[in-house]
Amino acid sequence: MENRVDSAIQIRGVTKTFGTKVAVNKLDLDVPQGSLYGFIGPNGAGKTTTIRMIMSIIFPDSGRLSVLGKASAVESKDRIGYLPEERGLYRKMKVGAFLVYMGRLKGIDNAGLDKKVRDWLERMKLGDCYKKKCEELSKGMQQKIQFISAVLHEPDLIILDEPFSGLDPVNRRLLREMILEQNKAGRTLIFSTHAMFEAEQLCDNLFMINKGVKVLDLPLSEVWKKYDPKAILIEPLAGAVASDHGSWSALPGVREVKVENGHVEIKLADGQDPSQIMAEIASRVPVRRMEIRKPSLEDIFIELVGGSAAALQAETEDMREYAAAGKEATGD
Amino acid sequence: MIKTITVAIREFLATVVTKGFLLGILLPPILMGFAITLMPILMNQAAPKVQGTVAIIDRTGGTLESGLKNAFDPEKLAAKRAEKNKKKVEQATEVMPMQTPQSKQAVEMAANAGGAGPSLTLEFLPPTADADAEKKRMTETDGKGDSKVANPRLALAVIPESSTNPNASGKFEGYDLFVAPKLDPEVQGEIRDQIGQAVVDQRIQVAGLDPKRIRDLTERPKGETKVVTAEGEKKANQAAAFLLPVGFMMLLWISVFTGGQYLLTSTVEEKSSRVMEVLLSAVSPMQLMVGKIVGQMAVSFVILALYMGAGVVGMIYANQGHLLELMKFVYVGIYFLISFFLIASMMAAIGSAVNDMREAQALLGPVMIALVIPMMLWLPLSRNPNSMFAQICSFLPPISPFVMVIRIAGSEKIPFWQIPASIAVGLLAVWFAAWAAAKIFRVGVLMYGKPPNFPTLIRWIRMA
Repeated sequence: MENRVDSAIQIRGVTKTFGTKVAVNKLDLDVPQGSLYGFIGPNGAGKTTTIRMIMSIIFPDSGRLSVLGKASAVESKDRIGYLPEERGLYRKMKVGAFLVYMGRLKGIDNAGLDKKVRDWLERMKLGDCYKKKCEELSKGMQQKIQFISAVLHEPDLIILDEPFSGLDPVNRRLLREMILEQNKAGRTLIFSTHAMFEAEQLCDNLFMINKGVKVLDLPLSEVWKKYDPKAILIEPLAGAVASDHGSWSALPGVREVKVENGHVEIKLADGQDPSQIMAEIASRVPVRRMEIRKPSLEDIFIELVGGSAAALQAETEDMREYAAAGKEATGD
Repeated sequence: MIKTITVAIREFLATVVTKGFLLGILLPPILMGFAITLMPILMNQAAPKVQGTVAIIDRTGGTLESGLKNAFDPEKLAAKRAEKNKKKVEQATEVMPMQTPQSKQAVEMAANAGGAGPSLTLEFLPPTADADAEKKRMTETDGKGDSKVANPRLALAVIPESSTNPNASGKFEGYDLFVAPKLDPEVQGEIRDQIGQAVVDQRIQVAGLDPKRIRDLTERPKGETKVVTAEGEKKANQAAAFLLPVGFMMLLWISVFTGGQYLLTSTVEEKSSRVMEVLLSAVSPMQLMVGKIVGQMAVSFVILALYMGAGVVGMIYANQGHLLELMKFVYVGIYFLISFFLIASMMAAIGSAVNDMREAQALLGPVMIALVIPMMLWLPLSRNPNSMFAQICSFLPPISPFVMVIRIAGSEKIPFWQIPASIAVGLLAVWFAAWAAAKIFRVGVLMYGKPPNFPTLIRWIRMA
């Protein structure tokens, strides 16, 4: 396999099935070194399966993988930090002892390990937890402990599966800062989320998966370029004008008009220059506010998988299918 | 390798350094030791000396007076009590010969716990005395030496004429013995014995025979069992020789079962607390499984060493050290490893496949059967260690290690080739069990949801 030095992870034609359910289908992916990659997709899209295959916890049915230049993560486990989706701690173990244990498993030298653990606890605002039993901590605190265990050994590659789930806003911000800090230190980070705004705020590259198939894989800047703003949001001064649906659709280059709560959203036809239309609107109607609406990743996702209703449908179906597949894989 | 050892150390410490382990595993032998050393001391608290009179209403015409006086002679009573105590020691020694001074002393102390015997004086009442009125005097004491009067009446015997002279239908009759409340049963027995003997002696005399001669003639002879072996005769030591194989098997069983149970619990806990995948990000499933098994093996070994050590000390204390042969310990060690790895592989596989202990119970059935069979078979196996049945069982893992330990520890020699052969079969089984367990473990640890059944487990073995 060609190993590009600048690729932390290379996936070629990887397929994984559970029973009859195809969890990941002929996936190709390159994660450049030093990037901050967001894996997004609805529940059961194949994010966790992909991550588990990267971690060599499960193995693909076909296709090839390379992680940090090695054919499997098993050979470079100590250089990888992983926060799994299914996470927990030894309930009766003390926090400090748990982190020291994980550090040792990750190959950190005994010398200085304890200090490292204490420093990290301090940084995550858990300084007083060293001697507490894991079961005494709240869920959010436990999650922070697990984050520490993923980054304690200063890995080159950090994979975080749904790192923000269950955290309050303060801790979300703290974790976000920590992720950015790790990335600044030159480490490659991958995190998965089904909350797409998290990805918008953090990542520099985006990987979107639905029903096991890659639907998008671009740097975030490219995403915004490709999925150009094609909608204009207008709040006219006079409410009456807003409801006049016909006159809005009569504007040149307008594909669709949506009137809602005195706001008008105009979707433009392909290839239209929004600035021209905005000038046209300004000349016709007095407006209180007019802006180019930037699409959210959610919009893009829905566009990619075909309509919001379809996506929602797909998500629920997926969840059902996934549950069924899980049953198949575990039982009759 | 270092990771496996790290896992093993954590597994060992997390199991051993808990209140449950210390209380459940360490306490029983310590308590047993205390009991063995403290019991004789406690039992040495001899009962208070019983002192009092035995009233006799002799309606045989005074024929019993001299016989009774003779029977209740203080020296004779003391001699009789001493004889009885000696017999007790002999009986105890027959089961477990005590040849060290301490052990002998312990047994003697226990046997003499009843004290030197009562000090009884006879009080002959007139044959016409009213038994009902005389009975009342016995309420002056509670029969325990704690009385209101100096020499209380402990018993009243009313001996009818017909006890020494046959009645109209040609039969001898008994007599009535009234005793004070709470009178030591042993003293009651002694009073009965002595009166009975005087009555029988009188009957013999009436028949014109010599009581002493009759007694000598009817004394039952004692038989001593000796085992004839190639090395010569040795005194039979049946109990110890019989208990030794069972002891070895129990040792193996307790240690293997306890370690296996801990392994199951800790694996299920790692799965149900979802710490499993966190661990798998640092170690491979194989490293984790091997580490856990090795850690629990150390736990099992601690249990085995502790109980075996207690057993060896006990046997040396009872001067049965000659029954212990070094090779037997070596074999126990080898069979311990085989049976532990067999059971542990099964436990690890089951633990990895289920979500909680309740689900584990459903899959535990076959393991439990394997563990219960040796418990049911130890008696026939140790009685007849070279039967066809025993020989077949010696090659059927997972029960074979237990069976072999019973056979080897017994006194009967077994064909030597069967030892290496059964070890080889055991190792083969270990290899297979570990291989299958590793496959199940790898799939099972990350599988949540419906608990698997046996066909599913077999599918996992084929799949992975």
